Amino acid sequence: METKSVKQNQVQAKNEARLIELRNVVKAYDVAGGKFVALKNVDMQVGAGEFVAVVGKSGSGKSTLINMITGIDNPTSGEVLVAATPVHELDHEQLAVWRGKNVGVVFQFFQLLPTLTVMENIVLPMDFCGTFPARERNARALALLEKVGIAEQADKLPSDLSGGQQQRAAIARALANDPQILVADEPTGNLDSHTSDAVMQLFAGLAAEGKTVVMVTHERDLTRFFTRTITLADGEIVAGAK
Amino acid sequence: MSSTRWKKLWRDLQAARGRMIMMVAAIAVSIFGVGAITSAYTILMREVSRNYLGTNPASAYIELERVDDVLVESVKAQPNIAEAEATSWVMARVEVSPNEWRPLLLFVIPDFNALRLNTFKSEEGAFPPQEQTILLERLALPMTNAKVGDAINVQTPNGQKQSIVISGLVHDPGLAPAWQEQMVYGYITPSTLAWLGESDTLQILKVKIKDGSSNQAAIESAVSDLAAWLKSQGHTVEEIRIPPPNMHPHQSQMNSILFMLLIFILMALVLSAILTATMIGGLLAQQIRQIGIMKAIGARSSQITSLYLVMIAALGLIAVILGVPFGVAVGRGFASVVGELLNFTIYSNAIPAWVYVVELLMGVLIPLLVALNPILKTTRTTVRETLNYYGTTRETVASRGLVSWVAKLRGVDNTLLMALRNTFRRRGRLILTLSLLAAAGAMFITGLNVKTGWETYLTDAASYRHYDLELRFNAPQSEAQINSILATIPEVQKVEAWNLNPAALVRPDGLDIVRTYPDGGHGSFSLRSMPPESKMMEAPLMTGRTLQPDDVDTVVLNQMSAAFFPNAKVGDTIQLTVNGQTATFKLVGIIKQILTPATAYVTPSTFAATTGQPAPMTNAVRIVLSQHDAQTISAASGAIESALAAQKISTKVSITETMLEGATSGHVYIFIYSLILISAVMAVVGVLGLMSSMSTSVIERTREFGIMRAIGAKSQTILRNVISEGIFIGLMSWITAVPLSLPLSWGVDYLVGMLSFRAALPLILSPLAVFGWLLLVLLGAVFASFYPARQASRLTIRETLAYV
Ligand SMILES: Nc1ncnc2c1ncn2[C@@H]1O[C@H](COP(=O)(O)OP(=O)(O)OP(=O)(O)O)[C@@H](O)[C@H]1O
Ligand SMILES: [Mg+2]
Repeated sequence: METKSVKQNQVQAKNEARLIELRNVVKAYDVAGGKFVALKNVDMQVGAGEFVAVVGKSGSGKSTLINMITGIDNPTSGEVLVAATPVHELDHEQLAVWRGKNVGVVFQFFQLLPTLTVMENIVLPMDFCGTFPARERNARALALLEKVGIAEQADKLPSDLSGGQQQRAAIARALANDPQILVADEPTGNLDSHTSDAVMQLFAGLAAEGKTVVMVTHERDLTRFFTRTITLADGEIVAGAK
Repeated sequence: MSSTRWKKLWRDLQAARGRMIMMVAAIAVSIFGVGAITSAYTILMREVSRNYLGTNPASAYIELERVDDVLVESVKAQPNIAEAEATSWVMARVEVSPNEWRPLLLFVIPDFNALRLNTFKSEEGAFPPQEQTILLERLALPMTNAKVGDAINVQTPNGQKQSIVISGLVHDPGLAPAWQEQMVYGYITPSTLAWLGESDTLQILKVKIKDGSSNQAAIESAVSDLAAWLKSQGHTVEEIRIPPPNMHPHQSQMNSILFMLLIFILMALVLSAILTATMIGGLLAQQIRQIGIMKAIGARSSQITSLYLVMIAALGLIAVILGVPFGVAVGRGFASVVGELLNFTIYSNAIPAWVYVVELLMGVLIPLLVALNPILKTTRTTVRETLNYYGTTRETVASRGLVSWVAKLRGVDNTLLMALRNTFRRRGRLILTLSLLAAAGAMFITGLNVKTGWETYLTDAASYRHYDLELRFNAPQSEAQINSILATIPEVQKVEAWNLNPAALVRPDGLDIVRTYPDGGHGSFSLRSMPPESKMMEAPLMTGRTLQPDDVDTVVLNQMSAAFFPNAKVGDTIQLTVNGQTATFKLVGIIKQILTPATAYVTPSTFAATTGQPAPMTNAVRIVLSQHDAQTISAASGAIESALAAQKISTKVSITETMLEGATSGHVYIFIYSLILISAVMAVVGVLGLMSSMSTSVIERTREFGIMRAIGAKSQTILRNVISEGIFIGLMSWITAVPLSLPLSWGVDYLVGMLSFRAALPLILSPLAVFGWLLLVLLGAVFASFYPARQASRLTIRETLAYV
């Protein structure tokens, strides 16, 4: 039953060429001396099933850009449409529900909740969004952990895991509600090259299964995994906006 | 706890066990304080009236030349009279040790078993007393140094010294406690009175009016009708006493205590709310990043809000469960202490249900209310903001100025500077902690200030009396004769006549109504002659001037008597009824006299003219002795008594300085107890607040400490850093608390003083309080910061850096 709805989603996504679309997005921060414009009239599109890298120098606005997609932050002006939802128009409550179901977020510092076990960390999004029947949640969490290859760590606390394992757990958590889109901000920034390769393989596999992945990265030798690279400089997209 | 988010909540609570315990303790302590006070309040209010009204006090006492059964029956038949009874009061004295006498107020009861008005209960021994024996009030017994079954020496105004057996004890809750008034209360039959040398004719008619027995005006009009009727029947109405209706003699004293406690309850409430806010602020600071993560993975603000609200309600509930029983126990204890002091029997300890409801609401609702805003603020911030939260704000110019100023001082090392800078990092929390500690400190200091003010007031009262003995005679005596008798006593240095005559306010119906209880002390009004330029009494002038030797028909009132003439100004004329005649005086001044009943002072010549007591006669003298210690006073008063007795002059009472002191200090205890109790609660709340704030600040900076240690700081340094910060906050709060305590003390001094003496207590900044609180707050600060600091310095560097 679940799989059927997932499939339907995918069909719908395939039909929607522009799953993510930013139109004329401006983001300005209030700073001591006035305003600092971190995104300058950005237009960009991402199609369903793409695996997009966002690259650029430090401070160029990468995190700011993907925060627009996840709704973690809101634009000063412009429109953000994700799966036909006008994200910029949602209020906090609507955003939380929408994000919980449609976007999986992966952070650089893993950000697992320290007092919950790995398994419980993965059940938590389902609990908040009420997505799967309570009885099925544990089994689903275990299946996701198996998928990312750390099922045997399920009952440990995050602090007992290595960095790579924690990041896999964070990816499993991002998948908990079976979102169409995964957004990650430097997910490999804290990992050694071997581990980071394994994590990238995981993302690539997810993209191949039909997930749309947008990822900020600094590492050049990872470009082989991506279907497209968007390059930012001083708050403007200089290449790859499509 | 099936769902994962509740599991998370539960684990967080467990992980932050220390802080949760602190928070529960803080709420529990204030619930305890409020609970103790409200419990005591409800018990006392109920039991006071149950005890006092239980005696069925008469509405009025009418003194006639003779009250017999026939008269009592016909008074009962009067339209407005519900009950009437005959009695007599005789002011006698009892020898408590050889030659040392205390006043003994004898209540003469014709039929102990048929007593309806001003009733009392048997406590021990005989009831009614056998002929030629006496019953004593239970609190009066210890003052006689005797036991039930012993014989005591008693002397009435017209009788000889007579030995009489104490055949039992009674409890008479209608009277002020004997030890407070330093007066022994005894109960005898008319024939025993006759045996003691007095007439057995009863002279007091006690009446209770039918309707509006709690309404002063209704009583006065009913009694004035009755007096008119009595006169028409040929009786002479000597005096009418109407005590404040349905009020125990010490009701106003207790009201002022309860009122003060009420003020402090409100302040305690504010404190507990501030404290809860501090603690919740700390809790949220610790969780803010996790809140961000939860929101990033799909939690709605409302889900997170309800998570925290439920947690706070649960903590509040635990606090209530812990705090209420202690509050109830202490409240009951306090009520029983007060009850004992005021000679009540606490018949029931029951505390009305609303007290529990209020405590429950307070413990749960107040934390929820103060938490709501910070929780909403936190859960509503954008995910980006919460994830970027580092718990610090920019330094303000002022704090930077202070820090750089301190940096210039010699001998200030870097640790202290860091501590200072940390203190200012979170301005909101600093202000909260400071206000909490400062408020607690101000209340602590206020408590002790008021106590000192009260004590100063009493010592002032004593130091304004420059005489050692006052003698009151049963009948006026020649002043010259008294002087010559007293001159034979070597210890007597100086004697002055201070004549005394009861006075009353003028009423249109011409009745002499005095507002007095049967014991005669409370609420009485007297006219006294004051020798001009006397050095025996010092009293600060509140307005106007003192009496001059050539003054005629001028009066100086003390503040208690001035209260009967609320509109009178210096220069106005006032009228008093003295011995049934209206006398008019010009008011020239008002003096402040502590613990002295309402008195109007006039010159000796004016006194003679007003009362008709010829000038060479006197009915009261004050005596200064060569030495002022208790032994000399007691020896001298014995010698004076026997010298006077040899001349057949009987004295009604002799009042010594020590007796006055005993009487006054009794009034103070309750105040001191309650102030100390409240101060202690405040101090605990304050220190808990500091502790919570310190541990919040330490938790926020755990990662920072990890980094500091990773780059070479020793655990010791961190410990010192945190403790310096705590001490610094403590010092700042102390600096704020001291000036804050001044207006607060002034207000409480005013209220308490006005309620008890009609004059504000002196405002005194007690050094003990100021430095005592400094010591307390410093100790508290070290204690409050040591625990969280040690926790932080014990974590390994890896643990601190992994801290989310
Ligand atoms: N909350 C903020 N307030 C003010 N300015 C900000 C804020 N957040 C980011 N900026 C500024 O916006 C610009 C873009 O920041 P952003 O975090 O998007 O950069 P980034 O490309 O992700 O950099 P990095 O690779 O270092 O993570 C930077 O110049 C930063 O200083
Ligand atoms: Mg970034």
